[in-house]
Amino acid sequence: MSTVAVEPLIHHYRRKSPRLAPNFTTAKQSSLNCTRGLLSRGATFCSFKSPLRLAVRASSTEAAPVETSESADVVFDKTFSLKRTAKVEGRILIRLNSGKDEENWQLTVGCSLPGKWVLHWGVNYVNDIGSEWDQPPLEMRPPDSITIKDYAIETPLKKSSTALGSDIFYEVKIDFNLNSSITAINFVLKDADTGAWYQHRGRDFKVPLTDYLQDDGNVVGSKKGFGIWPGALGQLSNMLLNSEGAQYDGEDGTNDLREPTQQKRGLEGFYEEHYIIKESLIDSSVSVSVSRSPETAKNSLLIETDLPGDIVVHWGVCKDEGKRWEIPAEPYQAETIVFKNKAMRTLLQQKDGGHGACGCFTLDDEYVGFLFVLKLDEDTWLNYKGNDFYIPLSNSSGLHTRSRLVESEKNEQQDVLERVESGSLPMPEKTTEANQAGSAYTDNIISEIRNLVSGISSEKRRKTKSKVAQETILQEIEKLAAEAYSIFRTAIPTFSETAILEAEAEVPLVKICSGTGTGFEIVCQGFNWESHRSGKWYLELHKKAAELSSRGFTVVWLPPPTESISPEGYMPKDLYNLNSRYGSIDELKVLVTRFHEVGIKVLGDAVLNHRCAHYQNQNGIWNIYGGRLNWDDRAVVADDPHFQGRGNKSSGDNFHAAPNIDHSQDFVRKDIREWLCWLRNEIGYDGWRLDFVRGFWGGYVKEYVDASEPYFAVGEYWDSLSYTYGEMDHNQDAHRQRIVDWINATNGTAGAFDVTTKGILHSALERCEYWRLSDQKGKPPGVVGWWPSRAITFIENHDTGSTQGHWRFPGGKEMQGYAYILTHPGTPSVFYEHAFSNYGSEITELISVRNRNKIHCRSTIQITKAERDVYAAMIDEKVAMKIGPGHYEPPSGPQKWSLATEGNDYKVWEAS
Amino acid sequence: MEVSVMASSQANLRGTELCRDRDVLGFCCSNSNLNAQICYGKSKICLSKSIGWPKSSVRLAIKAVSQPEAVVSEKVSGETSTSSRKAKPADGVRLYVGLPLDSVSDCNAINHSRAIMAGLKALKLLGVDGVELPVFWGIAEKEAMGKYEWSGYLALADMVQKVGLKLHVSLCFHASKEAKIPLPKWVSDIGKSRPSIFFADRSGQQYKECLSLAVDDVPVLNGKTPIQVYKELCESFKTSFSPFMGSTITGISVGLGPDGELRYPSHHHQAKDNSIQGAGEFQSCDENMLNHLKQHAETLGNPLWGLSGPHDAPRNDQSPLSNFFNENGGSWESPYGDFFLSWYSDLLISHGDRLLSLAASTFSDTSVTLSAKVPLVHSWYRTRSHPSELTAGYYNTVNRDGYEEFVEMFSRNSTKMILPGMDLSDENQPNESLSSPELLLAQITAACRKHNVEVSGQNLMISGAPRGFEQIKKNLSGENAVADLFTYQRMGASFFSPDHFPSFTAFVRSLDQPEVHSDDLPTIQEEAAESLPGKNLRMQAA
Repeated sequence: MSTVAVEPLIHHYRRKSPRLAPNFTTAKQSSLNCTRGLLSRGATFCSFKSPLRLAVRASSTEAAPVETSESADVVFDKTFSLKRTAKVEGRILIRLNSGKDEENWQLTVGCSLPGKWVLHWGVNYVNDIGSEWDQPPLEMRPPDSITIKDYAIETPLKKSSTALGSDIFYEVKIDFNLNSSITAINFVLKDADTGAWYQHRGRDFKVPLTDYLQDDGNVVGSKKGFGIWPGALGQLSNMLLNSEGAQYDGEDGTNDLREPTQQKRGLEGFYEEHYIIKESLIDSSVSVSVSRSPETAKNSLLIETDLPGDIVVHWGVCKDEGKRWEIPAEPYQAETIVFKNKAMRTLLQQKDGGHGACGCFTLDDEYVGFLFVLKLDEDTWLNYKGNDFYIPLSNSSGLHTRSRLVESEKNEQQDVLERVESGSLPMPEKTTEANQAGSAYTDNIISEIRNLVSGISSEKRRKTKSKVAQETILQEIEKLAAEAYSIFRTAIPTFSETAILEAEAEVPLVKICSGTGTGFEIVCQGFNWESHRSGKWYLELHKKAAELSSRGFTVVWLPPPTESISPEGYMPKDLYNLNSRYGSIDELKVLVTRFHEVGIKVLGDAVLNHRCAHYQNQNGIWNIYGGRLNWDDRAVVADDPHFQGRGNKSSGDNFHAAPNIDHSQDFVRKDIREWLCWLRNEIGYDGWRLDFVRGFWGGYVKEYVDASEPYFAVGEYWDSLSYTYGEMDHNQDAHRQRIVDWINATNGTAGAFDVTTKGILHSALERCEYWRLSDQKGKPPGVVGWWPSRAITFIENHDTGSTQGHWRFPGGKEMQGYAYILTHPGTPSVFYEHAFSNYGSEITELISVRNRNKIHCRSTIQITKAERDVYAAMIDEKVAMKIGPGHYEPPSGPQKWSLATEGNDYKVWEAS
Repeated sequence: MEVSVMASSQANLRGTELCRDRDVLGFCCSNSNLNAQICYGKSKICLSKSIGWPKSSVRLAIKAVSQPEAVVSEKVSGETSTSSRKAKPADGVRLYVGLPLDSVSDCNAINHSRAIMAGLKALKLLGVDGVELPVFWGIAEKEAMGKYEWSGYLALADMVQKVGLKLHVSLCFHASKEAKIPLPKWVSDIGKSRPSIFFADRSGQQYKECLSLAVDDVPVLNGKTPIQVYKELCESFKTSFSPFMGSTITGISVGLGPDGELRYPSHHHQAKDNSIQGAGEFQSCDENMLNHLKQHAETLGNPLWGLSGPHDAPRNDQSPLSNFFNENGGSWESPYGDFFLSWYSDLLISHGDRLLSLAASTFSDTSVTLSAKVPLVHSWYRTRSHPSELTAGYYNTVNRDGYEEFVEMFSRNSTKMILPGMDLSDENQPNESLSSPELLLAQITAACRKHNVEVSGQNLMISGAPRGFEQIKKNLSGENAVADLFTYQRMGASFFSPDHFPSFTAFVRSLDQPEVHSDDLPTIQEEAAESLPGKNLRMQAA
């Protein structure tokens, strides 16, 4: 039976120290990881306050009035509320057995947790190519099933009639006949209450019914079954199980499982359990008070908490504001050990009655601060909003006046985020880090320029150093030119020389432009193909805003907001009607505001290529519009016979399902410009994700971008890669050239999704051909290798993956994909389903590595290895990464490398 | 083919040394021997040239230092390359960019210094060699005669130095309407009481953006002549900028008239739209000019010719080819015409000579290159009479090469000639104007070649003649390269605008790169394709 590692929530700035790393690795994760429940998480984030405030408060105590006198002065007293999620473990039960006779079989899927469970499922037929689902034949569908589009069925799970005692079950049974041409049944389990999906290793569960299915790592039923169908579901004899099946070691998805059955007739029943975890929120608190004894000149610090169980305080002291952890001098109090010379660990004493624990620490005068995190168990740590708890200590004689500061009494909600780590190091305080980042970056560039300055002139007319260096230079030039332009344009004179010098120092070298944002953006696609279902997506996403922010995302891409013929929004009708299946216009505004509050920019999904009409023309063709933009058939391109447009020929490819808009018409463009500006002003969108930009000339996009002045804009230019005899060509230059051409047509005012990189990753990972990840010139082979600042890298979106699966990323290898895009230049975009799957924590870890090392869309990359089974690269000489099963270690050169994060077939190192 | 490689005149001075370097570096011996001979032969020519060019010697030496690298790289790049482009300055042309006219405000602060700083850095990274800084009389000596204020310009020079760019200073003894920079206030005040210090045309219309050349040696400025005042400013400049001289400041150009150009302001009151230009008007009617004309006529024994300028010259709103300039039988071809036009042009030449020798003597102890600008008066060039050139002071007609005398004067003063309009191509000129910037440029540069006057190029349209970059490139590369230095005008908002800057970047890179690509990797087809300008543009715009 498989076991599942508790995959805890990870919030931001999780740092895994290799030195402290205990055994917590996801590699131990068992055969299955089910997507966690999603509901409870948003609530763990309520307020974000700078940790600085703590220190500020403490210092303000100096001025506080004296109240009483005691022998020890309480100089600090504060209660932090701790919110953490608790997990309920449950099981998904899958059983395949023969029913009435040899021909008729039954698949039973059950779940042991209470809830409104829905099985979302489909089948594969014999001649299916690829992994798309199909709808099962009618006779297979259990009662109450509803069809989802033309490829899936949703069937609710019912309380099992055979459940006994406290074991409550929900189950659904699917009967099928072996003579049908079905090769496999695919499903995911959905929690209708929370909208959470429970998948198998990030993919669908797949129950093969024949032996010629390819194993994508998500096959169930092929391993040795065991256990007993809980309760009296009976038919124990059918639990006979495929004991010859390959040993399933749970370590990776590459086991050869292609022989679960020799043929259809030989189908064997099985029974499997998979653990799933639902999360719920638990409130606790910890209070810290510091009192100072004037006689001994020592501070004593009391920590009390109502957390249950053995709580270890992992702590250190610091001598200055730098918050560097140090260990205090001996002697130590009871139950305290020194942990790897880095920190102290003290087990809190259980209070009487078992309600919580407390501990007291005596600290010398020389320390100005006490830093700690709480350790609940090996994997579960609590900290303060992503940073260590920092308790200022009084060490100056001026603090003899007693003051009392009771934060919690002021009803100040001090929210503490649960944070799980395998080890903890002192975290730099966030805002300073950011500032330092800014100035360091500036300094770097200036020194870089200085270096280049000496190099360039001699270099100029000789051979240039290298393409890489050149491109870095060009990127700098672009930035500088943009800056010069912006100032010259506004032409504000400065009037004195001193002002000049200061101004020079302040030159912000990060220039925001719509093609790149700040250059440090990380996008989250904030929806999937099913997000419209609940009808309240905006409200659901609202709860996740803070989490997205804390996990390091800077931009969220929202679904198309307009009234649409299709519920997903991509068949817009009245552009000014923003009540959609995702929610109302008011809910949308609230959501956008919320994202702005947490510092996330919002992209609107603008469908400009086509628009569905309101009325038919005299021939019965739908090409006459209503609403505020009541265009007639002159707004429709002329070269799509289905819609009898009277406009000009399309400036791009046609999308045949709806009338394509003729952007060459002035009135159309004027209306679109106005609409985009309206969206900017009325809704507060910061930028655009432009749908199907293949359909019209990029120059029009430039016009729209210029008019609406977005913070960030990205276009979807998706066309097919080149294949020869069914095998993808190594050289995809033509493909990326088309995307680059489009970006160029927009004059670089918009970026584009790097479809090329996704395609090449597919081949490289799927077929273990990692050599594909370097082009002939040793650069990344996608758009990111040519025009990194305009490449928005991604591995999946609502079309390619989700429940559509038009071009799904190789199953089980998603993290390798993310290890690639989140360490590489370009602007990475993470798909919602992945961000909120149990890949979430690994993704967050990669994001924090990216942010920590300030990798940006123009970072330099050097590919250090591109061989059959391993690809490795070095980015900005600060981060090294490898993907693939092969071995790679970064060479020890000027930098010392320490492992930052790792997972299945990927590793990332940071220079230290 | 190696011959053509070595044809660069700049490389020749050190040709023999160069070759020695090569041997040391271990390059193919047979070729270096060949080169040695060729170089030797050529270096003689250069020596003779440097006799005529005493002041340029230092600069030449500087170039020579950088030259071995260039040659070496050509060597490395493989002998198969027969590209003619690298034969000549395309490989050696230095590129400058003009700073905004109003870089320094009239209260001596740097205008939008942050933008300039960013711009300088961008240019440096781009591989541009230097910048051109217009230094205005009206700012440097604004308050009173002899009271110089260099702080703003010094700060700017410092910025340029910090970024590691070279600086070419243009001393502007004119005002700029465009940048709203007037002449020094005290000069304008004098002009109010003494209008004759300015040019005037037949109708008495004055041109107040520079002093009339007729007062060059007349003590009109508080007892000093303009020439003296100019000279003192040059001296003060030299002293104040001595830390930069020869290191950061490598070149100085001296303003010789309207917009710094050696010409009469014959076209100053024309609309700057695209309507067809008139011929311009003779600027011979201020008091001093008329006096001079009178004397001159009397000297030649034709006092009647000295009473005024040509009475039948067409006004600006009249057809330029009428009356005086009539293509057939116009009095420009008459003895009177010859008398007047010669005088008019000679005055301009001697004005130029005065200023250039002044500058030459002032800066003789520095290593900076001196240059001065002549206009490219290209409209009506395809006529017999060349009326526009005549009114501007260039007696250049179908019968006579009017530029040679000017070039000789430049040669005498060892001054480089700055030629604007390298961005103009004939095909983009309105047909009706019978203009030909390309032919005119060819005429002037031929004269320069003949008299060993070096040429620096400039563009005329600020940031953007149609297909201007192609034309500039044409002028700077290939066998017909006319200039070894090009100053692109001019930094500012439109220069850095997304509409313009990418093409400028492409231009700069195309000056340098295609050769590099094809040279470096002559065998790889793809690389060659990569070097197509369009693709470069894409790649570099990241």
